[in-house]
Amino acid sequence: MASMLNTGLQSEQNIEVHKFYGGSVVLVSFVALILQAFLHKYGRWADVVDLPLLVVIYFGVSRRNPVTGLLLGAAIGIFQDGLSHDNPIGLYGIAKTLVGYVASTIGAHLDTDHPVARFVLTFLFFHFHQCVLAFTERALLNQPAPYFSLHLLLDSLISAAVSVFLFAALDRLRKSA
Amino acid sequence: MIGALSRHRPLALLAGVVLAQVLLLAYQIRRAHDVRLIRYWSVEASTPVARGGTWLFSHLGGLWSGYIGLRNARTENEELRAKVAQMELRNRELETQANEAHRLELLLNFRQVHPEVQMLAAQVIEASADPASETLVINRGEQDRVKRNMAVITPDGIVGKVVEVFHSTSQVTLMTDKNMGVGAMFADTRTHGVIKGTGDPQPVMDYVVNDEKVAVGETIITSGEDRIFPKGLLVGVVASAKEGTPFEKIAVRPAARLDRLEDVIVLLTQEELAPGKPGTPFAVSPVPPSPPAEPSAQTKAAPARSLSPALARTNPDPKADSSAGSQANPSGNADNPAVVRAMPAGKTDQQSAPAR
Repeated sequence: MASMLNTGLQSEQNIEVHKFYGGSVVLVSFVALILQAFLHKYGRWADVVDLPLLVVIYFGVSRRNPVTGLLLGAAIGIFQDGLSHDNPIGLYGIAKTLVGYVASTIGAHLDTDHPVARFVLTFLFFHFHQCVLAFTERALLNQPAPYFSLHLLLDSLISAAVSVFLFAALDRLRKSA
Repeated sequence: MIGALSRHRPLALLAGVVLAQVLLLAYQIRRAHDVRLIRYWSVEASTPVARGGTWLFSHLGGLWSGYIGLRNARTENEELRAKVAQMELRNRELETQANEAHRLELLLNFRQVHPEVQMLAAQVIEASADPASETLVINRGEQDRVKRNMAVITPDGIVGKVVEVFHSTSQVTLMTDKNMGVGAMFADTRTHGVIKGTGDPQPVMDYVVNDEKVAVGETIITSGEDRIFPKGLLVGVVASAKEGTPFEKIAVRPAARLDRLEDVIVLLTQEELAPGKPGTPFAVSPVPPSPPAEPSAQTKAAPARSLSPALARTNPDPKADSSAGSQANPSGNADNPAVVRAMPAGKTDQQSAPAR
């Protein structure tokens, strides 16, 4: 896996900033949020994959702009909080803001188009997102949220696997150079 | 600061966005007692600042007020000193008024205790310029029906007699004057004698034989033989007594404070005063009932007749002799009622004469 990551690492001059068709970012984000909320009522398996998180990671590493990345993360997170009836506004917003910022920053230095790199990044961002969430819940809500568990590990692996296919599908929304 | 923000614009924006969401979360979250977390944070954040500010302002205020206080202390101190001086002066005035009121109260009580006796309250307005002359001037005179040889007393004891009467003032000779004599007797033994002034603060009681046992502190009252002072008024107490030739030398401490007289009473009549009521300041000693006739008592109470020359010598005013009904020579006449009244019941001049 390390060799695959190394193959993805390129110099900063060679990293391309991808452009997307107009409205595609908003549309994809909106669909991910609606789909997440829609699938939620069909059972716990829908919560395994956090589609808004995957969207934030993808556009963050693709656009490679920290400002747009963090703003997109904040918008998607707040929207996700709004759709959940029991979460205070800002809980997912903070976590996804940080994920968007870090993803954009990392994307500016790494070539994240390789499937393995995407799998690893998604896996790591999943746990980073979970850590921020747990910290926020513990610090602000006084709720004992776990930083890590086997269940979360399984979810992160599934999300990482889904992201490989999802990101490949989303690559079709890129404008050709 | 602005330059640093522009250089790290993404990071600053991240911090701003996260902070905004944290605040948004804090606004929604409620802690114990349904208090919003943002309010809890606000209070927690502002409390140390408020405490520090309060401490700072209180100390600064204390320093400032201390500085202002020091600046004003000197002026205030001077003002307070002036006020204290005024208050002390006022206090002395009030004390003087209180003392005067007390003296007047005593005089009033005296008058109330003895309504049967015509008396006149007077103030001492002047003392004699001659230190050897024991006289003073009172503010009552002819217009107030004051006459020569009227007795002047205080509630504490006798003072003297009126020797000169003017239109609105009178001159009084004190009992300590060299030319003054007062018929007196011991309150307990009823032994008679004559109080003679010496010019000193303590007059002497003369014509008491050496055989008489006189104790220091023994009370002396007027006998009424001089026809000036009614019988039974307090004269003073024995200050010292020793044998002499031919009579005992007895120094008397006057009951009245003759050195600080301010208000006195002029007795307009020589009517005998009734005993004072218990608890009143009236110091006139009650005259006990006459003891049964005994040979020894007779010898002690006998000097009525022989008092006459002594009293005559002590009276310098020949006019007073005639006007006062021969007060300086009350005896010489066995029928003199004053002398008879002064003697114990059942005694006669003949009985008392051999004792002299």
